[in-house]
Amino acid sequence: MAVLAPEVRSAAPRWLIRHETLLVAILLVALVILGLFNERFLTVDNLLNQGRLMTEVGLLALPMTFIIITGGIDLSVGSIVGLCAIMLGYSWKNLGFPLPLAIAFAIGVGGVAGFVNGLLITRVRVPPLIMTIATLALYRGLAEGISQARSVRNYPEWFFYTGQGEWLGVPVQLWILLVGIIVAGIALDRTTFGRTLYAIGNNETAARFSGLPVDRVKLVVYTLSGLAAGLSAWVLVSRVTTTRSDMGSGYELDVIAAVVLGGTSIFGGVGTIWGTVVGLVMIQLLKNGLALTGVKGDATIIVIGAVLIASTLIASSLHGRREVAG
Amino acid sequence: MSDARNALMREGGPAAPLLAVAGIEKSFPGVRALSGVSFEVAPGEVHALLGENGAGKSTLIKIISGVYRPDAGTIHLDGRPLRLDSPDDARRAGIATIYQELLLFRDLTVAENVFMGHAPRGRGGRLDWKAMAAKTEALLATLEIVDLAPSRVVGSLSVGNRQRVEILRALSQDAQLLIMDEPTAALTEYDVTRLFDIVRRLKSRGVGIIYISHRMDEIFQLADRVTVLRDGAQVGTRRVAETSSAELVQMMVGRQIESLFPKVAVAVGAPVLEVRDLVRRPMTRRISLTVRAGEILGLAGLVGSGRSELARTIFGVTPAESGEILVSGEPVQIRAPSRARALGIAYVPEDRATQGLVRPMNVRENFSLASLARVARFGFIDSAAETRLAETGVARFRVRAGSLDQVVGRLSGGNQQKIVLGKWLANQPKLLILDEPTRGIDVGAKAEIHRLMCELAAQGLAILMISSELPEVLGMSDRVLVMREGRLVAEFSRAEATPEAVGAAMMGSQGADAGRAA
Repeated sequence: MAVLAPEVRSAAPRWLIRHETLLVAILLVALVILGLFNERFLTVDNLLNQGRLMTEVGLLALPMTFIIITGGIDLSVGSIVGLCAIMLGYSWKNLGFPLPLAIAFAIGVGGVAGFVNGLLITRVRVPPLIMTIATLALYRGLAEGISQARSVRNYPEWFFYTGQGEWLGVPVQLWILLVGIIVAGIALDRTTFGRTLYAIGNNETAARFSGLPVDRVKLVVYTLSGLAAGLSAWVLVSRVTTTRSDMGSGYELDVIAAVVLGGTSIFGGVGTIWGTVVGLVMIQLLKNGLALTGVKGDATIIVIGAVLIASTLIASSLHGRREVAG
Repeated sequence: MSDARNALMREGGPAAPLLAVAGIEKSFPGVRALSGVSFEVAPGEVHALLGENGAGKSTLIKIISGVYRPDAGTIHLDGRPLRLDSPDDARRAGIATIYQELLLFRDLTVAENVFMGHAPRGRGGRLDWKAMAAKTEALLATLEIVDLAPSRVVGSLSVGNRQRVEILRALSQDAQLLIMDEPTAALTEYDVTRLFDIVRRLKSRGVGIIYISHRMDEIFQLADRVTVLRDGAQVGTRRVAETSSAELVQMMVGRQIESLFPKVAVAVGAPVLEVRDLVRRPMTRRISLTVRAGEILGLAGLVGSGRSELARTIFGVTPAESGEILVSGEPVQIRAPSRARALGIAYVPEDRATQGLVRPMNVRENFSLASLARVARFGFIDSAAETRLAETGVARFRVRAGSLDQVVGRLSGGNQQKIVLGKWLANQPKLLILDEPTRGIDVGAKAEIHRLMCELAAQGLAILMISSELPEVLGMSDRVLVMREGRLVAEFSRAEATPEAVGAAMMGSQGADAGRAA
């Protein structure tokens, strides 16, 4: 018998807006401070370059937002990036695929890798954490086995356009990320697919009992995650010009950090693409700003960890206040 | 406060109340939950609190049990003023509360649960397991419970037994006042009888009991006095011996309830659902039944007889292993709820909170959850259409919610149930499966749901209704099927379905033959 409290509107979105606003505010303050310390930081060139560096993790963060909203997690994304990068190089160099086909093949491999995650999670009901820890090791092992620790180089010049070129003065991959953000944002906010994600994250049983295609949607998000990893691998190889089997290792942590920093609840049900984008930009610019200011790498990691904890604390205190108000 | 107290004395309250609550006020942001509530509980008295969902009963008991602080008013226990800043204060003062959702540790034993937080200690502060077991035995003995071992793991117990553990827990802390919030909502008939037995025993020991229930007959069986709340205000306190259920209902709802079960005869049409030899082990064993358009088919049985399991098998949550399902005469395979929904089957599940609603989501989002395709074009949700859908539903089912953006978890049980029903009817189903459609909701909302069922049947909807409330099954059904241990054991026409005959078939006692075996 809940007490009717008519003025309490849907609190989650309002809290989210607050969380995102807060993040943007912190971001602006950090930008100004770092800008004061270093004149090279707040320049168009530097910022665009940071956008370039951010894309590989950014592409992964979009489907990761979907996955975490359903209450799941995908720890294998970094390994899939590695596997796809290797498959790109291997199919081009060793199997003699034409390079465009090799790129498509690599992205396809990513999709299959994600699909396998999704299949076992939905059909066999392996918890996502366990499943993707297993494939984190498995896919990386495959990448190393196939590559035989040999790197692939000497890609043709046109191949580097994606990772190093510019279109209308903006890095090419940043355009890809931008399109991804808009598509993902609209999908989450406006479509039945997005609504289903929130419903699953908030109450999977009720979503199922409402006849929503819970398993199919989960399968889709893990597959999307794999496809995004393939895309990310292509951009990465194109940017750094070589293929190595250790590519993308540790990405999963950056990706999850960006998503969670952006206000997506690790318990599912709450989160937005816009939040993830702010989280992503924040981490990238903090890293860069601190590096330019002369802070050493280890200290940078400490600062990022501290920011993540602080933002979670602020978020949970906002959240807590809402609960009490009810 | 003395005014209120004198007023109660004139009504015949005992001279030395155990608990005296006076002038309680409580507001939440934007809503006045309680205004000026006063009542007393004498030692050994069962004092019932009655009111529709949202009337303020839960708020009131949360104040008495220290969860909320009142804005104004006083609480006296044994003549001493109480200031309750936390549930712990209330516990120490001797007030124990048994909530609807039992708060037990599933993986611990009965004894461990009973003494959680105040376990007997041995030397060096170590837990004295022997004393704990012995004390639990002693408590069990005082209530003459013989079929519950202190070493049993609570998770393996029935709901009735878990509730007994909660009661033992309260007694182990020498509670003088016991608050029971709808203790029979999830109990079987047998467990209800045993609960009443325990309540009477406690009464004779001088424990005061505040008893909340929607079931009128329980109040007349158990309670000495009853206080009725409506919209946070106290409508009145009556001695049970001097009132009638008609009067109480009228006090509660502030209007006359027409007839309790407004069942009207409807011409029954073609079969909508035919089930033949459906099997899903262990609880669905070769079930065959037919539901026709315009028909309300009641499915009676004890809790655990396999009725919900059957419903979930038809609905595709736990797909059938063998057997046939025909919808409108066409054989179909239903391997997932999404398929059932596409075939025009709707299922209002027994557990609103976990199966029926996404409680953190708002009214609008919950209304459209089962019919998203109807408010979307190419997968894009048309928010205007969605809002219209929800507005129509809110109006049609008279859902009391502040706005469409209100989180449904904060609505009362009756309003939540109307939303579950509404979200399914928005999908315009041919067959509606209702699993305990009125469990734990107030009289007013219940009558509305019954009225709605008749309306829907008149429009040609086929309804399969599962209910553990025998009067509801008998009052609403055109035909009654009885399940026991996963099998259909009897079938009754509306005329044949007497409480005795159906009850006997449910229990499997003699007289089950009165109905034709199905």
